[in-house]
Amino acid sequence: MSKRTNKGAKMSCGDGASCDARDKRSARRRPGRLATSTAAISAIGVIAVAGGAAEASHPAKVASHAATTTITWSASPITTSGPDPRTVLINDFQKANPTIKVKLISAPTNTDTNESGLETQISGGSTSPDVFMGDVVWPAVFGAHQLAYPLSKSLPSSFFSTFASGLVAGATYKGSVYGAPFFEDQGFLYYRKDLLKKEGLSVPTTWEQVMADSEKLQKAKLIQYGFVWQGADYEGATCNFMEYLTDAGGKVLNSSGTKSALNSPSAVKALSFMRSLVTSGVTPAAVSTYQEPQAMNAFDNGQAAFLRNWDYAYSTSQSSGSKVIGEVGVAPMPTFQGQATPGYSNIGGWNLYINPHSKHLQQDLTFIKYMTGTAAQTALATQFSEIPTNQSVRSSAKVIAVNPVLATVPKTKLVARPAQTPQYPKVSQAIYQNVNEAISGSKSPSAAISAASSAINTALSGSGL
Amino acid sequence: MSTPTTTAQLAAIPGAARGRSAAAPVGKHDANRKRLARLGWTFSTPAFLVVGAFTIFPIGFSIAMSISHVNVSGSGFSLSGVTGSNYNTLVHAAQWRYALGFTVVYTIITVLVEIVLGTCIALVLERLTKGRGLMMALLLVPWSMITVISAELWGYIYDASYGVLDQIFSGIGLGHPVILGTSTSAIVAMMVADAWKTTPFVAIIVLAGLVMLPDELYEAAEVDGASSWTAFWRIAFPLLRPTIALAVLFRILQAFGLFDLPFVLTQGGPGYSTTSLAVLGYNTMFQDLDFGPGAAVATSTAVLVLIGCLLFLRVFKAQVGEEES
Repeated sequence: MSKRTNKGAKMSCGDGASCDARDKRSARRRPGRLATSTAAISAIGVIAVAGGAAEASHPAKVASHAATTTITWSASPITTSGPDPRTVLINDFQKANPTIKVKLISAPTNTDTNESGLETQISGGSTSPDVFMGDVVWPAVFGAHQLAYPLSKSLPSSFFSTFASGLVAGATYKGSVYGAPFFEDQGFLYYRKDLLKKEGLSVPTTWEQVMADSEKLQKAKLIQYGFVWQGADYEGATCNFMEYLTDAGGKVLNSSGTKSALNSPSAVKALSFMRSLVTSGVTPAAVSTYQEPQAMNAFDNGQAAFLRNWDYAYSTSQSSGSKVIGEVGVAPMPTFQGQATPGYSNIGGWNLYINPHSKHLQQDLTFIKYMTGTAAQTALATQFSEIPTNQSVRSSAKVIAVNPVLATVPKTKLVARPAQTPQYPKVSQAIYQNVNEAISGSKSPSAAISAASSAINTALSGSGL
Repeated sequence: MSTPTTTAQLAAIPGAARGRSAAAPVGKHDANRKRLARLGWTFSTPAFLVVGAFTIFPIGFSIAMSISHVNVSGSGFSLSGVTGSNYNTLVHAAQWRYALGFTVVYTIITVLVEIVLGTCIALVLERLTKGRGLMMALLLVPWSMITVISAELWGYIYDASYGVLDQIFSGIGLGHPVILGTSTSAIVAMMVADAWKTTPFVAIIVLAGLVMLPDELYEAAEVDGASSWTAFWRIAFPLLRPTIALAVLFRILQAFGLFDLPFVLTQGGPGYSTTSLAVLGYNTMFQDLDFGPGAAVATSTAVLVLIGCLLFLRVFKAQVGEEES
């Protein structure tokens, strides 16, 4: 998942974190700048103290090794409350690897700023940061411009087989794996247990049921809106659309990623359904301006029966200020009637990448192996409720017991955004701009799909803006 | 920086030196001049370096990028070959043509509205005998606010679920229009936010012009039996023209670079209906990593606004000339 503040934030507001600072409660992953810098400063402080303590307590050990190497790790804040997962993981790593020290560079929470900063720095030849945490949609862009080291050149396939299926494919560009999946995020369907019980409804598994159940609840005057999601003119609309599209059997690109495969009856069906949610009154018309915080807000305020959101939404809905504490359930995404359940969840999340100019490749690889290994992944999942990428951690009973969201993860089906092309930012723009127009009713679904499809072809051919 | 003083001193001192040179030997005069020139260069070099590094080089580099194939890679930016393809891409891109049209229309409408409103406010302020200072201070609040902040505030007003306007509309039975969700209403909403912020700026400039007009002119008009309406159109307005022209010029330059409002309020949407040239340039460069076409957007925008301003000045000058003849 990622964190951005607005459309600036578009590339990944979609995933994971909320994209707008307006809602304080959902700002868990997106602290203000002050919070970020405070976190950064305190993080650096903690590292310094920890580092000092480590040296002091093991003077003999330090002396016996030739020299310690310091590597730098650029990562945006993962959570904003409680202990910082980054420093906790760094300390654990340093304990296990006393010859390597890791210096944290706190990256901006705005993914756009983060990305363009890294791109400028690395293309300028900087050897720092050695390792950076980056969005799951970056591999093609960074791979195509040689801004990330191809990990598959140095790591065996046995390393990559430790990850849950689909994740490594998402980090691959032209046969090389550029990112090691660090933690994952995906879409979930959140529902109001109390309302469904009142009307004797079961948890919907199809989109048609979501619509019918919503109408029933609205008619019974139990709730103002049925279903809220993200339809604003930004990356999140692409993420939402991908789920309906894949459920309907459609695809964005052809298998070689060279041409649009979007212009299909399935895509029109998917988008028509999204629009019909609005016209039927199940979804408020304002959804065309909704990013995560607005949708979250409507759900937390008890205005909506169903919510599509990322993994953090469960804990947000159960934190103080929410009016639906204890009433929220989480399920895999629904699909269209007649399709195998569950529906597809869009993948978000973060990978670890290596700077191709790094002078400490071996240490970087050791760090990445540790961070994606069982110990670090278990800590991420149990202490910080992130979805682990390591398959064995993901399926461990101990981890599943912690959070109902994590218990739902093994039941979900995943779909990645078509980020295998370095033109992905433009492809996504073509999708979300047209999807947004169709949702707001200024374009018909079929016109929007064909416009998006031709814009994607223009983008892939490298011409056009 | 120190450039103006230095230049002024340099201009003054050689004159003085020349005055003395009649009596002084030629060699000494030359040495003196050389010394002064050296001194001048020494003083102005830091300023030149700063301006060069932070203004001239980036402008030059972006012009160079706009006419080259730009490749971003692990080993840096590389520019290769002179090409018109970046500009060709622009001309053939529907987004650029739309952004250009949108920016031009947006600039014309907002500048017109702001000039009319600003002039009206200035006329009222001029007649205020009490509390003018306080009113001016209040007026300056929107102008002094950082646009990103005021845009966030307007975002709250326009918000479709918990916005102030939404409450008002539903309260008077107009339902829940999604103000930022359809093209026309989003554009109008943005223009309102723009006018709210920059009308005071126009008002202050026009007020400064009004205050400087001699009272005798009004008195003479009154004696001749002119209504206050006639007095404004025949006396104040023609004399205010240079002031208004200045205000218009500043506003065109600013409005053409429209970025903060769409960036915060609509992210360029719905669709790309509020994507201004600046937003388009930003997206192209920093999201798509297309530095060539992005630089072409930036360069062409600067050239277009320059041409626009020059044309405006020309037309305005001609009109003033006619009045005078």
